Amino acid sequence: MKRRSIGALALAAALLVSAVAVSAGSSSPDRQHATKVVIWLQNDAENGWKDMVTATNSAFTAKHSGVDVDVQYQGWGDHLTKFDAALAGGTAPDVVELGNTETTRYMAAKLLQDLTTQTKSFPNSKTWLGALKSSCTYKGRLFCVPYYAGARAVIYRKDQYKAAGVKSTPKSLAQFVAAGQKLMKKYGKQRNYSALYFPGQYWYAGLSFVYDYGGKIAEFKNGKWKGTLDSPQAIQGLNQVKKVAKALSRANKTTDEANPQQALVFSKGRVGAFIGNGWEWPYALDKKVGNPSLAKKIGAYPMPSHIAGKFMPTFLGGSDVAVPVTSKNKALAYDWIRIFTSNAQMRTLATVGKQIPNTTTLASLNAKNPQLAAFANASKYSWFVPTAPNWVKVENARVLKNLFQAIITGRKSVNQAAKDASNQITKILNQPVS
Amino acid sequence: MSQAPGGEAGFPAMTATAAGSQIRRRRRSLGASAFRAFSPYLLLAPAALIVIAVLGYPLYFLTRLSFEQFGLAELITRKGTWVGLDNYSRIFHDHQFWTVLLRTVIFTAVTVGLTMVFGTLIALLLVKLGRFMRLLLTSGLVLVWATPVLVAVNIFRWMVDYEFGVLNWTLTKLHLGDFLNKDWFADPKTGFVVISACVIWGAIPFVAITIYAGLSQVPAELVEAAEIDGARRWQVFKDITFPLLLPIFVILTSLSIIWDFQVFNQVWLMRGSEPEEDYWIMSVYSFVEAFKLGEYGFGAAIAVVMVCTLFLATFVYLRQMVRMGEAR
Repeated sequence: MKRRSIGALALAAALLVSAVAVSAGSSSPDRQHATKVVIWLQNDAENGWKDMVTATNSAFTAKHSGVDVDVQYQGWGDHLTKFDAALAGGTAPDVVELGNTETTRYMAAKLLQDLTTQTKSFPNSKTWLGALKSSCTYKGRLFCVPYYAGARAVIYRKDQYKAAGVKSTPKSLAQFVAAGQKLMKKYGKQRNYSALYFPGQYWYAGLSFVYDYGGKIAEFKNGKWKGTLDSPQAIQGLNQVKKVAKALSRANKTTDEANPQQALVFSKGRVGAFIGNGWEWPYALDKKVGNPSLAKKIGAYPMPSHIAGKFMPTFLGGSDVAVPVTSKNKALAYDWIRIFTSNAQMRTLATVGKQIPNTTTLASLNAKNPQLAAFANASKYSWFVPTAPNWVKVENARVLKNLFQAIITGRKSVNQAAKDASNQITKILNQPVS
Repeated sequence: MSQAPGGEAGFPAMTATAAGSQIRRRRRSLGASAFRAFSPYLLLAPAALIVIAVLGYPLYFLTRLSFEQFGLAELITRKGTWVGLDNYSRIFHDHQFWTVLLRTVIFTAVTVGLTMVFGTLIALLLVKLGRFMRLLLTSGLVLVWATPVLVAVNIFRWMVDYEFGVLNWTLTKLHLGDFLNKDWFADPKTGFVVISACVIWGAIPFVAITIYAGLSQVPAELVEAAEIDGARRWQVFKDITFPLLLPIFVILTSLSIIWDFQVFNQVWLMRGSEPEEDYWIMSVYSFVEAFKLGEYGFGAAIAVVMVCTLFLATFVYLRQMVRMGEAR
């Protein structure tokens, strides 16, 4: 009896061993081909111009047979935390998209591959947008490749404007507010209706007011940074933000423009206008999550300045793609970037994604397209965050989101909020770079 | 987060074996008695080794990190620079730290207090209930306990949603004021009401069921005798039930303090992974400094301070617990 059970055990063990051996044998040929290039892109690409990514990947795999491309989409809120953790764990992607306000710190910490010697191997490297190229340059060396730029404009419901008696698009901030008030009069009885959807943490749009009145975030003097959001000009701008948000917006005061996606809130019909990126227009019309029936009812115009006839400066947002120093497939990563930023793909980005492509040679594409003209016009007057290595810490510490939330909810007076934010910015920007 | 009782299940088992070995101690050969003396440690060794590997090393690493300057660049080189007590002196000079500490202490006091009160009330209710209702309530409690924090937080978030919150709608329908488009998180006070509610809601089941288990051990004749002597319900609870169950209350309170002092998920998720400074409690503060701002050494120092504070706070309770154990 005992012997029999031992025999059975031995048999079972033998079966198990052979099963393991078989599975190991069958998996080993796969392993040889399993080179995988991991790409982290922001979900703007997923929502706005997925065609470009798909086309890039098929062109890439056609060239490098047997190499897998794994595109993983990230959200702006936590992608840097994830990226840092991945760097520490040795699982960082081979290509990473970084916002143009986020690059400096990573360049300064030498975490991105130096691309200076092969600059010319990337398409259009001579005609890259200056603003993007400078966000990729640190101490004269190139660490990333420009991807796209985005300017914000007012995306609005033409039908609602007409019904409320707004005859032409506003040419000054005063006209903008007056138009909004007409909309509120006509539609304001609906709960949650906003003539201008302006969530309380929307600092990209909020700071445009500051720059319009001549204020700025910080200045570099005598080797030190100084936060300047408490200057009289900046305060004037902040007061205007408060006034406009109070009069025209019933958006949540403690969320930002991406949670929920403002384009989708807009597509539900209870919003007259919002300040958005080019890609948010088609996103509002998306078949799955948006509302395609609005296609003929949407227009866009640059946000007007308080000085009649001028535009309010827009935040020149944008993104770059870089290769982390930890990548084990650098050559493949460079090649993926070359295809991704080629003329063919940049065309898709401009026409489908409604963004500003990374090269000035394609600028005419935007000017000819009526849907893009407003954004292209807006981008002529732009502002940008201070190019300090520690800048991204200001964003990560949510200093500007807190500023606008405090002002719009009324938690702090404009003066107090501006002073607090300014002090915090001074403190963070002057910290030793780490 | 931590709703599962950690190590307390081990205590009764350990004392039982210790008692057993004492009773069974007989004079035998010297080798056997040496083995007997040694065997408990031998048996404990595997568990101890695992605990050291799983808890000891991270704790050592955390402490070491707290004495280092460790930023983004060091992530790749994996070598920090020793800076001695710099991180600690920075913490104690940071006025934000003191604000956060005070906020955390208040938050813990309120959540633990309310958890204990509601837990006790529900336990007392369970004793009085009929069989069917008791079963219903107990299963309800178990379901609450089984709900993952992520799900619970999302439910609470939806209930107080700015546009669609059912709580806002209900309060308005009850004519308690205009709560439509009420933004609970605009003011941290109301924001913390929601967060605390979520924490307390998740913590009640364990407390209620444990106290109920204790209550069922209170001799009925004691209560009966007191009632015959004319004691009111409150007096029965105060003078008989509570003193008898004191050890359970002490254990539950100290465990709750440990859990609520380090609450992280509820705050983090409720504020969309980006809590405003007004919502920073110790764990969030440490996480933001370490992982959002890339100050891993400073973040580690905050975590160490947090552990020490927690240890001081629970020390009193633990000491009392040990004393009560000796008195018996």
